[in-house]
Amino acid sequence: MLVSTLVSAQNNLTTLQYSMGFGTGDLGDHISKTSFRGFTIDYRKLVQPNVGVGVDLGWNVFYEEMPYATYTTNGSTDITGKQYRYQNQFPMLVAADYYLKPGEKINPFAGLGIGTMYSLRNTDMNLYTLEQDAWHFALRPEVGALIQASPDFSFSVSAKYYHGFEAGDLASQGYFTLNFGFVFDGE
Amino acid sequence: MLLALGFFLGGCYPQGPEYVEDLDVVITNHNADYDFSAKGTYAMPDKIVKITGNLSEGDAPVFIPDAVAAQILSQIESNMNDLGYTRVDIDADPDLLLTPASWETTTILYWYDYWYWWWGGYYPGWGYPPVNVSTYTTGTLVMALVDPTIESANGNPIPQWTGAINGLLTGVYDPIRVNKAIDQAYTQSPYLKTN
Repeated sequence: MLVSTLVSAQNNLTTLQYSMGFGTGDLGDHISKTSFRGFTIDYRKLVQPNVGVGVDLGWNVFYEEMPYATYTTNGSTDITGKQYRYQNQFPMLVAADYYLKPGEKINPFAGLGIGTMYSLRNTDMNLYTLEQDAWHFALRPEVGALIQASPDFSFSVSAKYYHGFEAGDLASQGYFTLNFGFVFDGE
Repeated sequence: MLLALGFFLGGCYPQGPEYVEDLDVVITNHNADYDFSAKGTYAMPDKIVKITGNLSEGDAPVFIPDAVAAQILSQIESNMNDLGYTRVDIDADPDLLLTPASWETTTILYWYDYWYWWWGGYYPGWGYPPVNVSTYTTGTLVMALVDPTIESANGNPIPQWTGAINGLLTGVYDPIRVNKAIDQAYTQSPYLKTN
């Protein structure tokens, strides 16, 4: 009876998570530092007990202060100074998750999101900034688990990989995230 | 909750540079086809001209204070000596001419806070919103190495090497910042070394 009560209570899952980001590829080459500034908001409507569909929103900020160094352009011009590199990532996806053990205390899931991701890159040096941006077509696989604390509240842990294909001013941008947060179940 | 998360993340957004020297930059450019190793002597003035808008109107040139210029020229000469050059008088037919110049640029930022006109208590009706103003001034020192035997089609000399240093001015001359930047301009120009 307890299991059926828990199953029927899960209809609309809203997940708020703190997100840490790890850049890969071009993003990882530009900013090697881990991002500790990020969050995600995920909404899933359980169309079946083990299938949820919805939307994902997120924001991760990557930043690195580069040491005083010399950068050479076109072979005959050298520029020396400190660079401050920022990159903001805004994924906006529709997503679906498959829950392996609905109704149990620990409910693993895996899913895929598809949509768009906006990248905004600022490279600051002296009093100038080089700004590059792009709206990427994005894919986002994820795995994680819901850890139920009460019928209406769970903890969430997940790993996601965002991949934005080449677009605008930027090459393809990709990064992993580790996410920890809360899940609120609204009926 | 979304708004709160946004404010939270905005509050811990990385702040960037903390000190004015973090914004100092050194830029050098050279003619890759020019053979500096075949040169040995150079001439340099005893003053550093300060480029202002009045020169084009025929006014007399302005120079930076002699005490400051002496320090800058001394640092330049030290670096040129390390590269193997000998400073000579302008009448001694030098291989190169080193022409330093400087200027200041003041940027004025102003913006209107449009939300103010909503507050009838400050500006009843359609009163003007307050204007916010901020300014900053940057200083630039340019060092150009010119071969007196090479001119452009219009008769002007062509710099074979140009070094420029730029940074925010604080109102107080900081020889450490300036000397460090001058040294860096020559450090990143090993092709200047003469035999």
